[in-house]
Amino acid sequence: MDTLPKAIMNALAQHGVASESVLCWLLCDRALENGFRDTYVLLTREELLILSHDQAPAREKTYSGYAANTPLKGLSPEKEAHWELEALKIRDIESLSIVNLVASGMVVIKAPEERAVAAFTNGGMRSAARLAKIFEKLKKSEELGPEELRDDQERATCPKCGMIYPEEGRQVCPKCMKKHAVFGRLLSFAGKYKVSMFWIVLFMLLNSAAGLVIPYFQGTLLFDQALGGKGTFAGQIGLVIALIIVFRTLSLLFGVIFGVINAKMAANIAFDLKSSVFHAMQRLSLSFFEKKQTGQLMTRINNDATELQYFFVDGISYFVVNAMNIIGIVTVLLIMDWKLTLLCLLPLPFVFLLVRKVFPKLWRLSIRRHKRVSAMNAIISDTIRGTRVVKAFGMEQMENARFQRASGAFSDAEQSFNKMGVTLFPVLNILTQIGGILIWAFGGWKVMQGDFTFGKVMTFMNYMLLLYGPIQFMNNIMNWWSYCMSAAQRIFEIHDAVPDVVEKPNAMQLTEMQGEIRISNVTFGYEPNKAILKGVSLHARPGQMIGVVGHSGAGKSTLVNLIPRLYDVNEGEIRIDGIPIKDVSMASLRTHIGIVSQDVYVMSGSIAENIAYADPDCTLADLIHAAKVAGAHDFIEKLPDGYDTIVGTGGHNLSGGEKQRLSIARAILHNPKILILDEATASLDTKTELQIQEALDTLIKGRTTIAIAHRLSTLRNADYLVVLEQGKIVEEGTHEQLLVKEGAYYDLVKKHDEALKMNEVITA
Amino acid sequence: MTLKDVSVSEILRPEDGGSSPGLAEAAQIRYLSPDDTEFTLTEGHMLNVKAGGKEHVGVYVHCSFPHTNKRIYLSIRTVENEEIGMIRSLDEFPEETQRMLEEQVELRYFAPEISKVLSVKEEFGYSYWDAETTSGYCRFTVRGGGGSVKLMTASRLLIVDVDGNRFIIPHLDRLSDKEYKMVEVCM
Repeated sequence: MDTLPKAIMNALAQHGVASESVLCWLLCDRALENGFRDTYVLLTREELLILSHDQAPAREKTYSGYAANTPLKGLSPEKEAHWELEALKIRDIESLSIVNLVASGMVVIKAPEERAVAAFTNGGMRSAARLAKIFEKLKKSEELGPEELRDDQERATCPKCGMIYPEEGRQVCPKCMKKHAVFGRLLSFAGKYKVSMFWIVLFMLLNSAAGLVIPYFQGTLLFDQALGGKGTFAGQIGLVIALIIVFRTLSLLFGVIFGVINAKMAANIAFDLKSSVFHAMQRLSLSFFEKKQTGQLMTRINNDATELQYFFVDGISYFVVNAMNIIGIVTVLLIMDWKLTLLCLLPLPFVFLLVRKVFPKLWRLSIRRHKRVSAMNAIISDTIRGTRVVKAFGMEQMENARFQRASGAFSDAEQSFNKMGVTLFPVLNILTQIGGILIWAFGGWKVMQGDFTFGKVMTFMNYMLLLYGPIQFMNNIMNWWSYCMSAAQRIFEIHDAVPDVVEKPNAMQLTEMQGEIRISNVTFGYEPNKAILKGVSLHARPGQMIGVVGHSGAGKSTLVNLIPRLYDVNEGEIRIDGIPIKDVSMASLRTHIGIVSQDVYVMSGSIAENIAYADPDCTLADLIHAAKVAGAHDFIEKLPDGYDTIVGTGGHNLSGGEKQRLSIARAILHNPKILILDEATASLDTKTELQIQEALDTLIKGRTTIAIAHRLSTLRNADYLVVLEQGKIVEEGTHEQLLVKEGAYYDLVKKHDEALKMNEVITA
Repeated sequence: MTLKDVSVSEILRPEDGGSSPGLAEAAQIRYLSPDDTEFTLTEGHMLNVKAGGKEHVGVYVHCSFPHTNKRIYLSIRTVENEEIGMIRSLDEFPEETQRMLEEQVELRYFAPEISKVLSVKEEFGYSYWDAETTSGYCRFTVRGGGGSVKLMTASRLLIVDVDGNRFIIPHLDRLSDKEYKMVEVCM
């Protein structure tokens, strides 16, 4: 737990409260009226303490994620606040709850009147949920476990710069990320391509070395010696031309060789990277994929891998070669004439300045253009895909106007981008050419004075032109390097991510399963302070069918997802055959559990492959029998390609009912001891549902089944029913018992019957 | 700034009962009228409402159109999210009640309104904002990659930070060129 601020410690001491007795605390940073004013809510074993002050609201606020040591503007009241303490005995408080507002929370206590204590912005939600939980335990006089008192879920901060990590559960400070370490790790990835890299760099160097001599040949050798009739090559124009041709060819040849090796290595590295990321992803828990920020992480993976591919292919080798080129050319120029060299490097700072200043602007304009074109494309795709709706409501004119607006906006953005572009590049060109003009001017003057030969000026000129490319490359390299390292970091994160649901090191292999399920006192939520299930208990004997009913959002699907351990419970326990599922190896647990859910996913592949997804080695006879039992055989036989029909992305389109039957066949073939039916027939029409119902009835035999259904008729065979309402079991018993009770289930049945009658009226 | 200044849309205006009586009948929404509804604020800052002779303790005010008009079609709900009734327009109610309900709306939809953008720095997929708001200077971090900065109407921008805290730029068109350029990169 974070330590209390000093001022609060002092205030507590003033009021005679030992700060060690504080079990947990919450900083409420919002005033109930408006603005930011701090109130501390603290909990000791006996009391709830509220520390508040009556100063004016703070005039500045730094939210999490922003570097914590950013200097404040000093706008908040300077004088030390006087903290008022209000102590309430826990036994006098009926309840303490956290009310979720929009992007904030509020602490409400009942003592005995309801009272809003203070409000806090969303960052405090986790601490608030913890406070409420500990309060509840204290209220019930329950012992606090070590995990309640330990608070390791607080947002960690970067030890180096004090910035709060911007993403929860992702202990990466983007500012202090050790780029060198990431780079080193990345290089180790390329380790097995050491030999290729060596050859690539070697041939690139040879390529540019061969290119570097040419200006010398074309200048000094050609003009001064061959044409000027002095030195070794006097009058031998043919030989010099031949030499130029030879070196040009050599340079070209080396270039081709390096290109070929590079192309091969690039493809290999990209393949390695992508498959390693894919592999790493597969071992992660479901929650990893469902978290918002990681969803975004995922979509970036592909781009990141491509980015890194460029890094290996272009980055490293070009960096080495360009660096060598710059050093080489500048050395040659300095040796030839250092004064002239310095003179013609004069425009360079201006070029840099311009690039630094104007390129970001150009970049912004290009982003704007990109966004506008996406907006326009969105409208096009909207109207094309939604033609039916547009036409049905006669809204063509409105769509035209909408498109006109977007198209106009895009045209504006395009124009300003192009205007900027056509101004910037010629200016840059002129600037770079000034170096050349300077050489001509001063070189020419020196030639006239007889200090310089014409060939030397030509050589100078040609070298200068060769220099600009590498310099431009170096100018961008820092940005680009940061970018690549961030990409690498994200990829390594997937590699290093620890699955939420982890198997114990010596997990048990469950070879035989009876199918007894015991869920005891399970509490679970995806987010703090939003428990989906609260203290749910359930017992299913082997072979029993349990029906779970309730309104949507009651937590039915969440409950069944806990059985195959797609998520771990927050509190309580689930046992199968008396063994806690946390002790069982995940693979063996899941082989015994089959799920048929509402949204069926059909993999790309043949129908046979889809049915045999969980058991690819099954016999063809089993496969067909399973399809027959699931009621899928007949429609498959009718297809021209039978069981070999390709389905999934780009394949044959199956109807909802057909897909559902495939998934049932999949479950039948899998032959699990525990079967979970999660709204298996909800999306189907009544007729199809009846057909599938028969298939399900066959499937259920001899297995423990937990079935969720909206349509209560699906559950007519259930041995036992539980009614879930807002995460709690409110009723349980057999169909008859519950009807007699005339409670929640009775209401559901009544509503259901009414709906059915309505259906009949409509279809009649 | 009063709530009225916030409402940007002139299109949304409450009309008595809507234009289709059949639809209103089917919807069966209970509208609270000032005559038989009494709102009170307890000492503990909780809102109570007495409607049609029944008292509800600890109710909350939800806006149907929190971005376009916060003064119309308010839904009065219990903490369990059950609707007690709706208010067509705050204007129907006495001033004191209006103020009370406005405060409750502020409490629920607290989002500092940005009056001046001081700086927006983009780095490694996050943008770091520094802005003058109606609640003082705020510094916050926004995740990049779209989705966190949304145009709610033609000129009203909603910015959601890494924790889900909300900030509003009520009039995008009133930003200076320099401010707009900083904001635009994140949109």
